[in-house]
Amino acid sequence: MALYIGKRMAFLIVMLVGLLIVTFLISHVAPGDPASLAAGPDAPPEMVEQIRHEYGLDKPLPVQFVLYLEGILHGQLGQSVRTGHPVTEDLAEFFPATFELVTVSMLIAILLGIPLGMLSAVKQNHWFDHATRIVSVSGVAVPMFWLGLMLQLALALDLGWLPLSGRLGIMSAPPDPVTHLYLIDSLLAGQWDVFRDALSHIILPAVTLCFPALASIIRVNRAEMIEALGQDYIVNARAQGIGPFRTVAVYALKNAFLPTLAMIGLRYGWMLGGTILVESVFDWPGIGLYATQSAIAQDFQPIMGVTLLIGANFMIANLLVDLAYIWLDPRTREAA
Amino acid sequence: MNFIPARMKALPIAVTLAAAVAFTMSGPAQAFEKTPQGNVLVFGGRQPVPNLDPSQKYDWSTRMLQQAVYDALVKYEGDPAEIKPWVAKSWEESDGAKTWTFHLADNAKFHNGDPVDAEAVKFSFTRTLKIGKGPSWMLSSVLAPDGIEVVDPHTVRFHLKEPYAPFLSFLPWWYILNPKEVTAHEKDGDMGQAWLTEHAAGSGPFKIARWQQGTLYGLAALDDYWKGWPHQTHPAGVIYKLMRETATQRAALIRGDADIVEGLSPDDYEVVKSMPGIAIENHPGMTTFGIMFNTAKGPTADINLRKAIAYAMDYDALLKVYNGAATLEDSPFPAAIKGHVAVKDIPRQDMAKAKEYLAKTKYADGGLTLDYVYVQGLEEERKIGLILLGDLKELGITVQLKPMTWPNMTALAEKVDTAPAMIAVFTTPVATDPDAVAFQYAKGSWGKYYGSHYLDDPELEKMIIEARQTAEWDKRAPIYAKIQERIVADQPEVFGMLANRRWARRDWVHGFNFSPVHFTGEVDLYQLEIVPK
Repeated sequence: MALYIGKRMAFLIVMLVGLLIVTFLISHVAPGDPASLAAGPDAPPEMVEQIRHEYGLDKPLPVQFVLYLEGILHGQLGQSVRTGHPVTEDLAEFFPATFELVTVSMLIAILLGIPLGMLSAVKQNHWFDHATRIVSVSGVAVPMFWLGLMLQLALALDLGWLPLSGRLGIMSAPPDPVTHLYLIDSLLAGQWDVFRDALSHIILPAVTLCFPALASIIRVNRAEMIEALGQDYIVNARAQGIGPFRTVAVYALKNAFLPTLAMIGLRYGWMLGGTILVESVFDWPGIGLYATQSAIAQDFQPIMGVTLLIGANFMIANLLVDLAYIWLDPRTREAA
Repeated sequence: MNFIPARMKALPIAVTLAAAVAFTMSGPAQAFEKTPQGNVLVFGGRQPVPNLDPSQKYDWSTRMLQQAVYDALVKYEGDPAEIKPWVAKSWEESDGAKTWTFHLADNAKFHNGDPVDAEAVKFSFTRTLKIGKGPSWMLSSVLAPDGIEVVDPHTVRFHLKEPYAPFLSFLPWWYILNPKEVTAHEKDGDMGQAWLTEHAAGSGPFKIARWQQGTLYGLAALDDYWKGWPHQTHPAGVIYKLMRETATQRAALIRGDADIVEGLSPDDYEVVKSMPGIAIENHPGMTTFGIMFNTAKGPTADINLRKAIAYAMDYDALLKVYNGAATLEDSPFPAAIKGHVAVKDIPRQDMAKAKEYLAKTKYADGGLTLDYVYVQGLEEERKIGLILLGDLKELGITVQLKPMTWPNMTALAEKVDTAPAMIAVFTTPVATDPDAVAFQYAKGSWGKYYGSHYLDDPELEKMIIEARQTAEWDKRAPIYAKIQERIVADQPEVFGMLANRRWARRDWVHGFNFSPVHFTGEVDLYQLEIVPK
């Protein structure tokens, strides 16, 4: 097992270097000049040149790339031309917000998606199955941006049940940072009012973000459950008088869950890099907005930093899913 | 057989979610935020402030907060914008606008109590010039660090390299920093740049209270601000809350989560203006919209083609794009610019004249295609492109709408060979001095997005240089009148319109003091007051 994990980690590093090379090349061949953008529209050429020199943008591309790799080995991801901050500081500031949002969102998707998928399979072609099909098709078809705005208008503006946007109320101070996840930090500090505030703020963006994942989980889990429920071991279990709940929720689900788990891993990694629209609608101060603003300003080093971070997260999420696979399925354990 | 177990029918998750919503339910906010210190005003804006250092950056949101925490020698106020004494209580120019002497207020002090003196002024100007970013370009060609003289603690003198009449008009954007605080936070000789991105060393009416990058920026008012306050009911603080989407801004205003917002769409303003408790600030701005031609390369190098396009444009349709909240340009200079004159021959739609001019080109029968490049996502620019497309069809000219990201668009404008035939350009002058607009048509502006015209008119160039080096306004004014006529005659762009600057505010916000020299959504926070009903 240790050898397997070691191999996967080595592969992960190779993948990240490949990712860096591709991102570096793409961001540098795009037209536009970050120094010129940072200097402003009225800046004379010598001012633009000074900024280019200050950020090392006047060096040949291979030299820039080697310097960047050297920086990574020293734990540095360069400096943002737009914000003037080290990229590591910016990422530490914005990533926890995205991580918290995506994690809560995925938890909602799992907690709703698995039971709904299971029930749909059990009640195949029943009205309940059709209803969940509407949910799952909508989850894929409805644009997240639109859904967010509609939820915002209905639940925040018209009914006033939930806050409109942001991560905390405007006058609330964030809890003392331990994990930088407000829900956890507020609990650790025993600040229930802040926890309540943070929870109320995360509901709308998390529900909006979870819909595509929820749709996929329902559909995959339903299909796998239908197949599992037709297997001999289920007939055997029923014949032995094992209760319906145990038959469905333990025997069938355990086997049907593996493909769902793989999909959850992929979705989780994808969501970490795909929060921009939700962050924009709900003013969620996450990495999606940071990445977009950096891309608009053609600020290379933050773009590279974000890509590296999202890529690493995506790969780690998949590694964890593979490990969970091994833990759940004895056959794959043997192979590993 | 019923496969649904009884335990699964209750949908406990739905109940849990409903409980979570109930647990966190919050009623809508009714008004500004009330704190023990007083009322705090909430401004909802779309643009972040990644770097507050006045020597490194300025854009509308950054400058709005800079002006709140820093002071400058002079300040723009009012409509029309006038330069008012601020840290400098008086000044005089001599030597034909080559030497400028400023006498400083005796009581001006930084937030930590240090005096705002001539040394601080010299330090701040030198720092900006040395860093070479932000507003540095405004004066770097005429002012060197060794040209700044401390005459005494309350007198500072600037010796310019050459006469420069617009000098004073740029000074409101050169803020004064506390040298002691900046020096104390220097790191690796960076002149305090890293520290000042999220901290301030100023003397302005507000100080930084909270700085949550990407979320909000909180300012606390200084009751004992050295300059005093225009109103007794000034807010105890201001929170600049980031709201990226206009739909969110609108909802926040209606809910009372925000007291004032900028940047709503033209349709949004129509919706909220009739709502109770909401007032609209609607003022003629100084931001011009034009369709800039490449006058040096390609078909638009022919002035007759440029004239034909200018006469084919439906100008009334431009105003409709903004639901009427705009005025047509009657000169290359906005009306708020000193020395503005209405140029009587500025083109308006006249298809007969358009065809007449087209006949003088080698495209008399049309049959050519021209690119119209605009910023992707700017709906107004796209709509104007569609108007142009329809109008030029009558001349047999095909218009290709090319949306581009801002960096890609400015990259094209950087070289004459790649500058598009037509490019949509919004331009806001940084000062009310006419040089701020006139110089956009000089060779020194080539390669900038507003200089993608590559206009080469030696006579015009000569007048622009002469006017900026002339000290007496009585002599400058006639030159600028000629410059305006000359630019219109050259037709480097379709002179479009000036969209009004608009904000929506709750009616308890008073003291809104518009000044056309402010950028996009910029507001003078110092002037605002909260008057609860």
